[in-house]
Amino acid sequence: MTQNEPRGNLARTLLLLGRLALAAIFLFAAYAKLKPQAAMPWSGSSIKTSLSLFAMQVDSYQLLPPQLVSPAAHFLPPFELCLGLWLLAGVLLRYASLITTLLLGAFFAVMVRTYMAGLEINCGCFGPGERLGPLTLLRDGSLLALALAVTIGAFLQGRKRRTESAPVPPVSAPQRAD
Amino acid sequence: MALLAQWATAVLITVAVFAPAITAQATTPTAARSSTPAHKRVAADAAPGSPVKTIGNRNAPITMEVFSDYQCPSCGSFFENTLRAMIQDYVANGKVYLVHHDFPLQMHTYSGQAARWATAAAMIGQFQDVDAALFDSQAKWPVDGDIEKYVAGAISPANFKRIQGILKGCAAAPPTSKADRTVPQVDSSCPVDQYIVQDIVLGYQVPVQATPTFIIHYKGQSYPASSGIITWPILKQFFDTLLSQ
Repeated sequence: MTQNEPRGNLARTLLLLGRLALAAIFLFAAYAKLKPQAAMPWSGSSIKTSLSLFAMQVDSYQLLPPQLVSPAAHFLPPFELCLGLWLLAGVLLRYASLITTLLLGAFFAVMVRTYMAGLEINCGCFGPGERLGPLTLLRDGSLLALALAVTIGAFLQGRKRRTESAPVPPVSAPQRAD
Repeated sequence: MALLAQWATAVLITVAVFAPAITAQATTPTAARSSTPAHKRVAADAAPGSPVKTIGNRNAPITMEVFSDYQCPSCGSFFENTLRAMIQDYVANGKVYLVHHDFPLQMHTYSGQAARWATAAAMIGQFQDVDAALFDSQAKWPVDGDIEKYVAGAISPANFKRIQGILKGCAAAPPTSKADRTVPQVDSSCPVDQYIVQDIVLGYQVPVQATPTFIIHYKGQSYPASSGIITWPILKQFFDTLLSQ
C-alpha cells in the first residue's frame, strides 16, 4: 500500500458523491418542470401544460424572441433529464460533467444578468413559484462550482488512468563500451 | 448492486437538498393553491355596489387574476404589450375573464392614489376605460401626481363627476402594500380604501412578491402564480394548451 492510495480513494469518493449530487439535482430539476400542475394526473396532456407553464418562465427572462421561447422550454427539461441519467451512469464522465458545467454556467450568467437588470421574476429553476433573488444566485453559483470541481476531477482521473495503463517502454540493454 | 447503491445515494441527496423546498411548497396555504379564484371569495363577502374590477364574461373557462401597481413600469409594459392584446382577443371572445387586483407598492408615490381612481371608476362600471387610461399615461401622471386629468379624458364628464363625488372624503394618504406585510389602515371616510386593502391582503396571501403577479384558474384548478412580463404569444399558447385539455 502506497502513501498516495488513501488520497486517491478520497478523491474517487468525492468525485462519486459530486457526480451523484449533480445527477440528483438535474433529475429533480427535470421532474419539477415536467410534473403535472394543479392536481392533474401524469399524462401527455399534463406534461404539455407543464411545459407551456415553463415557457412562460423562460419568456419572463426577456432574453429570447417569442418564436424561440417555446422550443427552448420544450428542449430544456428533457435535456436535463438525459444529463441527469448520464451523470448517474458515470459513462464518459469528462464529457457529461463538461456539458453540465457549460449548462450551469449559461444558467448562472442569465440569472445574474436578469437580477442586475432588476427584473423581479420567478427563477423557474426547479419548477414554478420560486423568486429569483440572492439565495437562488448563491445556490446556482454553488452548483456551478460543484460541476466545475467534478469536471476537473474527472479529467484528472482520466489522465491518471491513461498514464497507468500506458505500456511501459522496454528497457534497452546497456551498451557495452568497447 | 453498485448501480442500486448509486440510485439510492442519488435519491438520498435529492431528498436532503430539496426536502425544505418541497415541504415549503406543500404547506404554503396560498391563494394560488386554492381552487376558488380570489375574486369569487371577495365577491361572496362584498357588499352590494362594490367595485367590479373585472373585464369579460364571468363564465369564461379561464380566469386570470392580475395583481398590479399603476405606477410600476413592468405592470405598464405587461398591460400595453400583453393584456391589451388578450382583452381584444381572448377576453372579447369569452375565453378569458380578467380580474384586476390593486397591489400599490409603498415605494411608488402615486400608485395608491391611482388605485383609488380605478376603484372609484369600478364602482360606477367605468373600470376598463380608467384602467387603460392610467396605464396609457403611466409616463405622465407620476411626474406631478395629476391623475385626475387623465381619468377625466377617458370618461364622460357626468361619470367623472360621479367618481369625484365618491373620492370626496379621501383626504388621508391612500393604502399601500408594506414590505413587512402589515395590513394598511383603512380610512373610513374614503369609500374605496376598504376594497384596495382587501386586494392587498389577498396579495399577501398569494404571496405577491413583485408586480405584476398573475394567477390562472381553469376547470376549478389554480396554476402557480407567475411574475414579470410574459409576451402575449406565449401566454396565448398556455391558454390554448389549457383549452385543448
